[in-house]
Amino acid sequence: MKLRYLTAALIGSASFAFAGQAFAAPSCGANTGVAATGEPIVVGGIHGNAPPGDFSASTDAAKAYFDCVNANGGINGRPIDYQIENDQWNPELAAQAAAKLVKDAGAVALVGNGSFIEMAVNAGTYKEENIMVMASACAISECFESSNIVSTNQGPLPSNLGAAQYAQEELGSTNVACIGFNIPNNGPWSCQPVIDLMKARGGDGSMQLLNPGAPDVNSALLEAISTGADTILMNLPAGLAIAVLKAAEEQDLRDDYIWIAPTPLYDLSVPGAIGEYWNGKIFVNAELAPFQMGGPDALNWVEVMDAYASPDDPRDTFAQSGYLSATYFVKTLLEMDPADVDDRAKVTEAIKAIAGYTSDLMCGPYYVGDTDFHMPNHAGFMLQILDGGFKIVRDCYEFDSAYFEPHIAVEQSLGLR
Amino acid sequence: MRNFKYLNWVIYLVVMVGIISFLGWGKPTKIIGLFFVSGLAVGSLYALGGIGMVVLYRATGVLNFANGAAGAAGVMLAWQLGQWGVWAPLTWLACILLALAISLTYGRLVAPRLAWREPVVKAVATLGFALIVLGIVSFLWIDDPRTFSLPTDKVGVYILGLRVTVTRLITFLASVSIVVGIYFYLSRTVVGLQMRALANDRDLSALIGIPILKVETIAWGISGVIAGFTGLMFGDLIRLEPTVITFMVIPSVAAAVCGRLDNLALVLIGGLSMGVIESLLTLSQTLKGVRPIAPFVIAAIVLIWYQRGTRLTFGTKD
Repeated sequence: MKLRYLTAALIGSASFAFAGQAFAAPSCGANTGVAATGEPIVVGGIHGNAPPGDFSASTDAAKAYFDCVNANGGINGRPIDYQIENDQWNPELAAQAAAKLVKDAGAVALVGNGSFIEMAVNAGTYKEENIMVMASACAISECFESSNIVSTNQGPLPSNLGAAQYAQEELGSTNVACIGFNIPNNGPWSCQPVIDLMKARGGDGSMQLLNPGAPDVNSALLEAISTGADTILMNLPAGLAIAVLKAAEEQDLRDDYIWIAPTPLYDLSVPGAIGEYWNGKIFVNAELAPFQMGGPDALNWVEVMDAYASPDDPRDTFAQSGYLSATYFVKTLLEMDPADVDDRAKVTEAIKAIAGYTSDLMCGPYYVGDTDFHMPNHAGFMLQILDGGFKIVRDCYEFDSAYFEPHIAVEQSLGLR
Repeated sequence: MRNFKYLNWVIYLVVMVGIISFLGWGKPTKIIGLFFVSGLAVGSLYALGGIGMVVLYRATGVLNFANGAAGAAGVMLAWQLGQWGVWAPLTWLACILLALAISLTYGRLVAPRLAWREPVVKAVATLGFALIVLGIVSFLWIDDPRTFSLPTDKVGVYILGLRVTVTRLITFLASVSIVVGIYFYLSRTVVGLQMRALANDRDLSALIGIPILKVETIAWGISGVIAGFTGLMFGDLIRLEPTVITFMVIPSVAAAVCGRLDNLALVLIGGLSMGVIESLLTLSQTLKGVRPIAPFVIAAIVLIWYQRGTRLTFGTKD
């Protein structure tokens, strides 16, 4: 808990250091400074929050932004009624949450969703009901390969690719062992493109799959080593990745391998948790701008969180992502005819028409398009865990994979390339 | 009868050698050694958890699913105290004391009220208690990356090519020592005799004047201390996540079932065998997906093997 405050304090301090100017109040929506009092516009959000994981950071941040928008004129004077449901990692509850928001409450869109479960369960419902989900904390294939879900976060597939690409180009990796979950729409889905990338570049790769509840990560690590890999990619949530690192430390394997990870390890509490032993030895991909970048949106995110979120709400990548989804959604509504913002079909149409919103939090443009797949965010940063923090070792770079060919084609058709 | 006992051991050895040969076929001996030793390390944790359950079950008839939650609460407290700069040995002591307190709280306040209910009701009640403890622990310590380390993690020896830390050796030796210690405690002390009498027939024990509450409290206390120690080891060797530690009781139950909730030596061997087989399954591309269910399949096979007679494992009377 203390770490959350520390993170917030660090980010807050960094924002002042970079800005060199005082921010009196965050900038939100129409920014009128007058509270919206009209008829509310119902918007939903679903997160998963129950042991073993809490994905509520994205909806927390989206709520903070919507509260800020409501205090600043809302959507043409109408406040956003943001209703949040928790799927508790339970497919049945996930389906109930979607039914409640989409069918009963009549939400015009869902924003800030973050879950391992919800998207797989409800992707069909969203398509049938013609409602768009501007998600923020996605980790499974359905989130990126569905017609009515688009996320500001990358998920494990691009982030893995970014980490492996950097390791191959800068650290001399030739054989990457990807340790992931034995869940088809997560582990194999996100490890296979890494293997393909390495093979395409004359190297090799393999995947070692863990059952999410398996207590023993040592076997996966030993399996990875037995493949002859020179690089270990920890495609896991931070807690499990740390368990892998602890098992590796037990075997004193630090200097024998290159250690890389996707975004989940980009958490300010990680360097302290893994200790001095790993200083300078782990490279982590970040799918959104690292906290020290301090661009206008990054600073505004901090201001919004400080003013409208609970001090206990996480200030992490998922929170950035939730904030970003909420800002894009509000921008879309403000650009619509005020008479249409209650019409779900027209809101869906407007969201699908988004083509090229930009933010300093994201490397590339954000777009949606009328396709059966959406992954606008497929470029990122590379960081090194160093001296108790994260050092940027590569600025925005695009990830190289055949997987992105259809996405690039869409970007070309939208004039974004 | 004696020959039949030996036959069981011969069959066990043949089956284990067969499984190890099958799973390790074509793999270098060094690799098999690595997985074997790694499996022993995990298996000793299963065994440790199982031993704690069986000790309590033998004295009170309660299959305690809350042991993992008590250990999880203990190790989270130890971690928190460590963050506040408390001297490490005191944090370990605090872990064991908290697990002991949780165990005694249930043992004195709830368990006596369920004393005359069926074993299944008693077991399910402890599961409810485990979820309450887990809920409180999860509320106090939100999901965050954390690690818990012991100084013995830094020192290790190489066995069959795998570096085994002193912490893992302590876990293994503790499992064996607890089995031996409990054996002598039950067979050589008055309280041990009273525990055996309770396990044999609670009604009759009450009639002949055995202080049931006192004996059961001691059993809950021993179970709580083992739970605290197990939590400390799980937090260090597995990972510092309350949910994972809480539900480590599930494979531990499988180890306990291998000993038919009675024989501690069999619990130890069952736990170690499960760990080794589970680890070696990783070597098979076809079978590695079934690793999580391996302990239960093994427990089921052991039960079926022993149930050839008439003895009931979960019945109120044998």
